[in-house]
Amino acid sequence: MADFDAIVVGSGMSGGWSAKELAERGLKVLVLERGPEIVPDRDYTDTIPPWERPNLDRVPEEEIERHYPKQYGGVAYAIKETTKHFWVKDDEHPYEEAEGTRYDWLRGYHTGGRSIMWSRQAYRLGPQDFEANEREGVGVDWPVRYEDIAPWYDHVERFAGIAGSAEGLAQLPDGVFQPAFALTCAEEEFKARVEAAFPGRNVIPARVAHITAATEEQRALGRSNCRVRDRCEHGCVFRAYFSSLNATLPAARRTGNLTLVHNAIVQSIDYDPGTARVTGVRVIDAVSKRTRTYTTRVLFLNASTIASAMILLQSASEAFPNGLANRSDQVGRNLMDHVSGAGASGLIAGFENRTVFGRRPGGIYIPRYANITEHDKPYLRGFGFQGGGTPVGAGGGVAGIGRAFKEAHRAPAPWRVSIGAFGEQLPHPDNRVTLHPSRRDSWGNPIAVFDVTYGDNERIMLAEARKDAIAMLEAAGCTDIRSAEVDLTPPGNRIHEMGSARMGRDPATSVLNGWCQAHDVANLFVTDGSFMASSACQNPSLTYMAFSARAANHAADLMAEGGL
Amino acid sequence: MISRRDVIRNLVISLGGSSLLSACGGRVTLQALAPDAGARFYGERELAVLSRVSDLLLPRTETPGALDVHVPALLDGLMAEWANAETRAQHRASLAALDEALGIRAGGDFLAAPDPVAERALAAVDADAFGGEPVEGYRDLKALVTQAYFATEGGAVDEQGWVAVPGRWDPCADR
Ligand SMILES: Cc1cc2nc3c(=O)[nH]c(=O)nc-3n(C[C@H](O)[C@H](O)[C@H](O)COP(=O)(O)OP(=O)(O)OC[C@H]3O[C@@H](n4cnc5c(N)ncnc54)[C@H](O)[C@@H]3O)c2cc1C
Repeated sequence: MADFDAIVVGSGMSGGWSAKELAERGLKVLVLERGPEIVPDRDYTDTIPPWERPNLDRVPEEEIERHYPKQYGGVAYAIKETTKHFWVKDDEHPYEEAEGTRYDWLRGYHTGGRSIMWSRQAYRLGPQDFEANEREGVGVDWPVRYEDIAPWYDHVERFAGIAGSAEGLAQLPDGVFQPAFALTCAEEEFKARVEAAFPGRNVIPARVAHITAATEEQRALGRSNCRVRDRCEHGCVFRAYFSSLNATLPAARRTGNLTLVHNAIVQSIDYDPGTARVTGVRVIDAVSKRTRTYTTRVLFLNASTIASAMILLQSASEAFPNGLANRSDQVGRNLMDHVSGAGASGLIAGFENRTVFGRRPGGIYIPRYANITEHDKPYLRGFGFQGGGTPVGAGGGVAGIGRAFKEAHRAPAPWRVSIGAFGEQLPHPDNRVTLHPSRRDSWGNPIAVFDVTYGDNERIMLAEARKDAIAMLEAAGCTDIRSAEVDLTPPGNRIHEMGSARMGRDPATSVLNGWCQAHDVANLFVTDGSFMASSACQNPSLTYMAFSARAANHAADLMAEGGL
Repeated sequence: MISRRDVIRNLVISLGGSSLLSACGGRVTLQALAPDAGARFYGERELAVLSRVSDLLLPRTETPGALDVHVPALLDGLMAEWANAETRAQHRASLAALDEALGIRAGGDFLAAPDPVAERALAAVDADAFGGEPVEGYRDLKALVTQAYFATEGGAVDEQGWVAVPGRWDPCADR
């Protein structure tokens, strides 16, 4: 008999969902997490006031050079003296990039994975996102359509808590929302002018995974409304934003069916060619380096897009010489992210005597209009803009000294609207992660080698996005419009990596079926971003959550029917 | 982390107690700023220049000034603990350049200049910096002093009205 009904590898954004749903279906679940335990009372730093944060909350420069060159180089805004414990040290977790390429692999290993550090922007994909590959002959067709996943978006939104507004936009479907964070006065003005000048474009409040009207279910888990502090990167004692640690793992735990083991690095998966089933996983303890095997009836990979692909590649056997479930040779390929590096900002007049109170978690969103309401584009797909319009703080950057200078910081201030594009990246099989042929990490596992570049579509799209951004600011009557030359963010830098074990209809060209289930191995599911057959342009985590919940319930159904 | 915070707090207290400039005498009390009073990074003159500049930039008004909240001590800790060798050298060079520029405009030693003269000298350096002829590093230094000031309890709470737990979002409030 197997040790567990189900093993979930990784306790992050998607793993938390797999664990919760499987445990709630009555299955005995083991979650294996490679990192240490995060204990909110000990490790959250959100209640430390600014004056108790050492050195203006800056990580010493030599420490950055030694331990965080990649992480800090990618997300300097998020790595502070009081948050650095949420990020991997690059010297302990090295990887390589193919000559002439750059890849930002930005991450944290601990309970909750990156659900602790994410920016919580939460959007559904729309019908067009599941249809575009087939229509345009790009990559492979998604084996699911929007209608298949819509009820699961409802399911995860209701539990997670998403603050958003119903807008009735076909390309960015509404969901189960709690009240949105209202637009600022400058954003309202910007919205009115942009929507008048460009009838197919909309400016809406960002949709964020924050509780603004806590439900009974959320309260029962110790969660309450967002206090608008802007301390999320440090954790949240109110558990107001969605993370595995704040929400799904406690829900899984209260079933009595969850076992969570930390410092458990999954190295490979055991496969029985006789039954064509996975039987368990091999684990090395991150601290003691002792190895052991856990057996299971069903396996969920939620180690994140890169790590899950690597585990499959590390699990080569006679039956699968290229890596487990990799008959299609697609594992590790088609790596996608979103691409930014185009945007603009401008001053918007008329609100100098107004200000905001509170520090909300998200600003504005301009849903994709390219190739949806506007069809004259020299590129495929499109982008959304994220941004906001708030008073400009003086921040020491104004002229003057003495009382006048001091008081300039609370004087009537101009407001600036800024928007930046998040564009879709098309899948390409040559954009891939592979195992280094010889270099190993401290636990004897091969390190990752990335070879990812953008294509013409991304480059042309972002150049157009910049023009659009400027045009919208002009239409809104902005002055002092600033827009840097387009400088594409390095692949990986948006931290939306996905696609490394894509789903599809044909086992010869895809790794997973529409249930995130391996074509070749019936009791193996991969429900982190690996399954994505295209990237769309919306922040993807909500979609990983919905597919994880759907796959977990499907697996539970199959097990109940004796089908696994 | 706790112990580091304590270290800083102690430093702030130890330096702060001794780093006040005499408010009305027009002359800086140099002895009180000596490194043996606790400075780990700044030399005696650097600390004195930084202190006087911080005070002129962000004086005590109805709310605390930069010296009340020990901005020089905070920057001393920042340079000692956070900065790497390159940043330290740059910071020293900026302070030296500022000292020199202030001296020229004050018609002698900036630290010895009476308050109105020192104030005019800094105002001139500041005007040049924002008028396109900056003393190397001055604007960054000014921003750093300001950032440090607003990161203190006095700067954040008393001057800026910062609240730890807003509890609500008002997207369009009266100033
Ligand atoms: C600063 C930042 C901002 C972001 N903002 C947004 C946003 O606004 N909206 C959005 O949608 N997304 C955002 N993201 C992305 C989001 O965090 C990820 O999409 C999401 O966390 C991915 O979920 P996951 O379960 O695949 O991986 P993770 O959440 O990273 O979890 C993976 C877990 O697996 C563990 N693991 C890895 N390898 C192994 C192994 N071999 N054995 C055992 N365990 C293993 C890891 O330690 C980790 O805990 C952001 C990310 C960051 C860092």
